[in-house]
Amino acid sequence: MKAMQFAAVLFLLAAALPVAAQVPYDRLVKADSEPGNWLTYGGNYYDQRFSGLKQLTPQNVAGLRMAWAYQPTRPAGNVETSPIVVDGIMYVTEPPSTVTALDAHTGAKLWTWSPILKNVVAIGLFQTNRGVAVLDNRLYVATIDAHLVCLDAKSGAVIWNTVVADNKMGYAITGPPLAIDGKVLIGTGGSEAAVRGLLDCFDAKTGQRLWRIWTVPAPGEPEAATWGSTVPAGGTTWNAAAYDPRLNLVYWGTGNPAPDWNGDERPGSNLYTCSLLAIDPLTGKVKWYFQFSPHETHDWDASEPPILFDGMIDGKPRKLLGFANRNAFYYVLDRETGKFVAGQPYAKQTWAKGLDADGQPIVIPDTGPSPEGNLVFPSITGAINWTSNSYSPITKLFYVDAREMGSYFVKGPNTHWEMGKFPMGAGGERALSGDDAYGAIRALDAATGKMKWEFRLHSPSWVGTLATAGGLVFSGTDEGNFFALDAVTGKPLWDIYLGSSLRSNPVTYAVDGKQYVFVTAGTTYFVFGLP
Amino acid sequence: MKSIGALLVAATAIGMLASAAQAQIPRDPTPIVSKTSPADIANGKNLYEATCSRCHGLDGGGSDGPSLQGVPDRLGDQAMGDIIRGGIPGTGMNGVGSLSAEETGQVIGYIRSLGHTADAEVAKGDPTRGKSVYESSGCATCHIIKGEGGGVGPELSRVGAMRGPSYLRTTLLTPGAILPKEAGAMERGRWTQFLFVRVVTKDGNSFEGTRVYEDSFSIELKDATGKFHSFQKLKLTKLEKVPGKSVMPSFKDTLSATQLDDLVAYLASLKGAQAQ
Repeated sequence: MKAMQFAAVLFLLAAALPVAAQVPYDRLVKADSEPGNWLTYGGNYYDQRFSGLKQLTPQNVAGLRMAWAYQPTRPAGNVETSPIVVDGIMYVTEPPSTVTALDAHTGAKLWTWSPILKNVVAIGLFQTNRGVAVLDNRLYVATIDAHLVCLDAKSGAVIWNTVVADNKMGYAITGPPLAIDGKVLIGTGGSEAAVRGLLDCFDAKTGQRLWRIWTVPAPGEPEAATWGSTVPAGGTTWNAAAYDPRLNLVYWGTGNPAPDWNGDERPGSNLYTCSLLAIDPLTGKVKWYFQFSPHETHDWDASEPPILFDGMIDGKPRKLLGFANRNAFYYVLDRETGKFVAGQPYAKQTWAKGLDADGQPIVIPDTGPSPEGNLVFPSITGAINWTSNSYSPITKLFYVDAREMGSYFVKGPNTHWEMGKFPMGAGGERALSGDDAYGAIRALDAATGKMKWEFRLHSPSWVGTLATAGGLVFSGTDEGNFFALDAVTGKPLWDIYLGSSLRSNPVTYAVDGKQYVFVTAGTTYFVFGLP
Repeated sequence: MKSIGALLVAATAIGMLASAAQAQIPRDPTPIVSKTSPADIANGKNLYEATCSRCHGLDGGGSDGPSLQGVPDRLGDQAMGDIIRGGIPGTGMNGVGSLSAEETGQVIGYIRSLGHTADAEVAKGDPTRGKSVYESSGCATCHIIKGEGGGVGPELSRVGAMRGPSYLRTTLLTPGAILPKEAGAMERGRWTQFLFVRVVTKDGNSFEGTRVYEDSFSIELKDATGKFHSFQKLKLTKLEKVPGKSVMPSFKDTLSATQLDDLVAYLASLKGAQAQ
């Protein structure tokens, strides 16, 4: 019976699909025009995590019920996936680097692919995967051992598999690739292994490398003057990016310099760590950069996915970029020029008096790590970490899952890290947690960062937000609640307890005219819809 | 064919968790014993800070990973050592297969020294007389020792292994003065345990008890009779957390100084196994 349903689904799909490429680049550019699908990591190239679907509203969302659940056979790590949904098929990832295609109506598994992994080096990161990219008839996934793999979207067969960087040196990948016109871009993790940060671009058809950007200089290069006499390391590119097809610029954040909590031997701003890079994908040239946290010593990577939006500043229309940084400040930049427009804290922070006219932090002295431990907000894991925010062009609000938590930052004696090895005696944190910490979903005026409302959470969460045209914001908690808020007021409208921590960005999609909402909790993938 | 592929992947996944550098789960048969000399603890500290603190926090209180305080005591040295070296498949816990049995013992010794609640005070009372004080003071109404008693409060079968005499004395005199923190993964750890909470529902009913569960939408209390009460936060008109208060009565005015010493000595002597 099940096999018959399966065959029927396949038949219907085959009948519905054109012979031409299923998801050409043009379809990705116009992703907003087909809200039933979720075509890129962030829903569109602007990474807004906003869906035009309106079936679920503040009036009916309380009627949501579970539609289906999927459980991987043997998940080896945290589930942090954000799916792609194309024409009734959902592509999810499973830890550490498995890709599975599910029937988005039913959750039935259509195919699955796993890499053969041997002697994986994973330093300072969880062995997980946050999602795939789709382009034409192909999927792109990066693996924990730092390969980029191209799969056939209908079968999971490998088209090509290329090494991005040497995993033995500490390069590892958990983030999603970015697929644009004929190209696939991918970053890596590994700053805790003191690797040299890089961003690579591959030919989508052949897997040939087209260009590479090193995010930190080699000794002797001009930017090396911002590192003292040390060999620059870190600045990895481990999270998701945004893309503006009209400006033809890719926006990618970079992580911490290495070593992290002791910066004594790397005096200077340590370019281009903890920065946002605007890159021309044709040439691989950095058009502009904006460094949020110069000479960083708290592990506050600038790796949060940026959100692009168009807004009004002083009565004039501007092309903008919103960025909720791990360092607890929200920044608005001009995405054409990289110029600072506005910024203010969106969560408690005790390390800066504020931002100056150029958006640079006015750092309070003695707020770095100390040998005995220095209490600073936010904690090492930050006011936000890898999860994605959302932006609604209807409310003009930026929805952030803020983490209100501080840490005693400890400076270790070791200033040298060896590539590929876990740092000895570098330092770390003693985090405030439990009743001394909390979380909140906050709605910020996207153009200024001014808070409009908050919905307080029992503890800091690891769940992104999703905004919909129906007027809802979805997110979740570390305890296991999945919930919907009114996008205008923040009022809670629906919640369900899923029994384990949520650790993913929710998405929404529609099949056969019915809107669904996806999230994971523990190692289970849940989909909800109206009965 | 498909299932063989899946098995291979699973096998490599487990191997991969064993260590950053080694594929094999260590087969070193040397028994793991925690090492607690000052030199051992000092080396254990170095190893811990290099390999464990990123996830478990420098003080073992948890960070991305769970709190480790009290864990060696619950698991024992061997099981603890097996996890340290072999990891826990299916979780973020990567084993550190390169550690020798001796080094593993040093790491466990260091973890045991973290957040230690044993203290300098030596119990001076008589534990045998203290047992009588325990039995005649109503303690067993709410506490279980070796299978005997009531489950309102925490089990005390091993309380002497977890708590020192001065801690026990403070708790008997001013219950709630020092509330322990729970272990847990990520920031879910370190919640104050036995937190006294008072709620008033929209229909005007009041309840009080210790918090056993809380999330953003609900809270669960255990009252002084051991009954559980569940509340939706949106349906409460008042939710008051009272650190320092406890459902347990103070024994300040009901026990003599000698009786208190004896009761502390009895509780401090409870280091045996829980009933199986």
